[in-house]
Amino acid sequence: MRTRMGMACALSGLAIALVPTAASARPAASAASKSVITLSGSTSVAPLAVKLIKTYLRKNSGKVGFKLAQGGSDIGVADVAAGRVSIGDSSRDAKPSDPGGLVFHKIARDAICLATNPANKVGNLSQGQVQDIFSGKIRDWGQVPGATVGGPIDLVVRTPASGTQDAFQKLFLSSAKVFSSAAAKASNGLVAASVKTDKQAVGYLSYAFTSGLNDTAYQGVACNLRTAKAGQYPGSRNFWMVTRGAVSRRSAVGKFIGWVQNNAQAQKIISTEWVPLR
Amino acid sequence: MRSPWSDDRAERVLGAVASLVLITIAGMVVFVFAKAWPSFAHNGLGWFGPPGHGSVDDQLTNIFNSPADPRRYVYELGAWPLLWGTLLTTVGAVALGLAISVLAAVFLVEFAPGPIRRVMQPVVRLLAAVPSVIYGLIGILVLVPFVGNHLISLERKQSVLYVVQLSGSSLLVGVLILTVMIVPIMVAIMADALYAVPRTWTEGATALGVNRWRAMWTVSLRAARPAIIAATVLATARALGEAIMLSMVSGSQGFGPNPLDGLTFFLEPTRPLAATIVDNAEGLSVKPFGQTIYAFAAVLLVSTFFLSLGGWAAKQPLKRYGTAG
Repeated sequence: MRTRMGMACALSGLAIALVPTAASARPAASAASKSVITLSGSTSVAPLAVKLIKTYLRKNSGKVGFKLAQGGSDIGVADVAAGRVSIGDSSRDAKPSDPGGLVFHKIARDAICLATNPANKVGNLSQGQVQDIFSGKIRDWGQVPGATVGGPIDLVVRTPASGTQDAFQKLFLSSAKVFSSAAAKASNGLVAASVKTDKQAVGYLSYAFTSGLNDTAYQGVACNLRTAKAGQYPGSRNFWMVTRGAVSRRSAVGKFIGWVQNNAQAQKIISTEWVPLR
Repeated sequence: MRSPWSDDRAERVLGAVASLVLITIAGMVVFVFAKAWPSFAHNGLGWFGPPGHGSVDDQLTNIFNSPADPRRYVYELGAWPLLWGTLLTTVGAVALGLAISVLAAVFLVEFAPGPIRRVMQPVVRLLAAVPSVIYGLIGILVLVPFVGNHLISLERKQSVLYVVQLSGSSLLVGVLILTVMIVPIMVAIMADALYAVPRTWTEGATALGVNRWRAMWTVSLRAARPAIIAATVLATARALGEAIMLSMVSGSQGFGPNPLDGLTFFLEPTRPLAATIVDNAEGLSVKPFGQTIYAFAAVLLVSTFFLSLGGWAAKQPLKRYGTAG
């Protein structure tokens, strides 16, 4: 009898320890009046998601709650496929190797800018130059017309699993490979910090992170919202919110995604630093 | 009114909790090794060797971009640069930290005037609890730009142009900050041990005519050797597992610094195992990539195990000396 009591105590202790994780891992399926939408994924989508959520909460306070985690596009896709979150944020398009049954909802477009240190006022880079620089064929700023610093080029790129890296490879490098001694950073913010503190650095990052850096035009088109909206800037990509299966328009998640895609106020928020769809 | 637990019941309940911990750890080890197995099985001993051609980062990219067909998964990896980076940062920081913390502990216990001691002790304990990401921020905002702009000349950068880029994120910064991170823990443990050395022992030495410094060096420190080893093991474990800070300051490149490069060696970037795991955790969903990341975790687990074993073995012959530890 005593033994059983002891075991029961130990087991209930275990159950209590597990409850919070289980609760936070479950998507917004709770029967309570307030549903919680959980998001995880791309660090590029995160700043946009935060702005959208803030406004959405102001209009629907009390009815819905949000939990946002970052980690990268692949994390978002994997999390939503496994049911750990209700929405996965992705800054890359769907891949054939993604788990089946996922629905990608396009929410905005984003420009990937090439950026150098403010001391280095490179005006424009052609696709050929970008390929030569990032693949390590050109290793000195002296060989780049328009560069205002000398010396070796420090490449700052993203880790292989990043959505920005994936888009950069497709939009800028095509078949060229990133030089093996490039520093691979895990987030947009770390790329910005590295380029800001290193005169010889060049990196690429989402437009929202480029303040304080020297934006370089790509193929003669400046990287800004106007050119990206007009469809002229060649380095722009899609932002997605991914769900497992189609979502009903009346569910909390469906309402939120519908609001993001169609509401005028949401489009206005998107247009501050990104490109709205309509 | 409930009667208090009998000893018998307390024993069973606590035993259940304790065995739960053991089961969790065992489960974790089994899980990590099961996940990691394909990476080891595919590469054999080559896993621990240098990456054949290209860099270890190229290999990681190839693994990440494996085709979706499980029969064509890419696993090819030579993790030596990462292992070497782990070894360099850990051994460097622990060696530096050991020297500093022994001297600091001796000062604190034997020489520091009362007020200084009363301030220093809580400060040391506080420092031991500072989260590593804060050290990382200081590193990336202050130390890395300083090293990049003032210690690395253009000529030095040019000399290794096609091999590696020197931008300030370096072995040097990593080791320095890691040392700052582990010293407080070591000082706290060593100071406790030095306090625990019986007063009569040092008084005996003083009575024989040696000064305080010599008594400290020959009696107290010898008696406290088991604690010094314990502190070193603990510090090594922290250095080995440090991920966030090193991922921020040590360079983000899977490069093995080459001691033959002279002074440049210290300025070369590196990325230890734990930092590699953090940097690449995004890609866990790609199966072969995830398995490779688990292989890094398995190596870290095994090295921590051997570290504890080594610490235990080193303490055995010292048991007869002191009371501490």
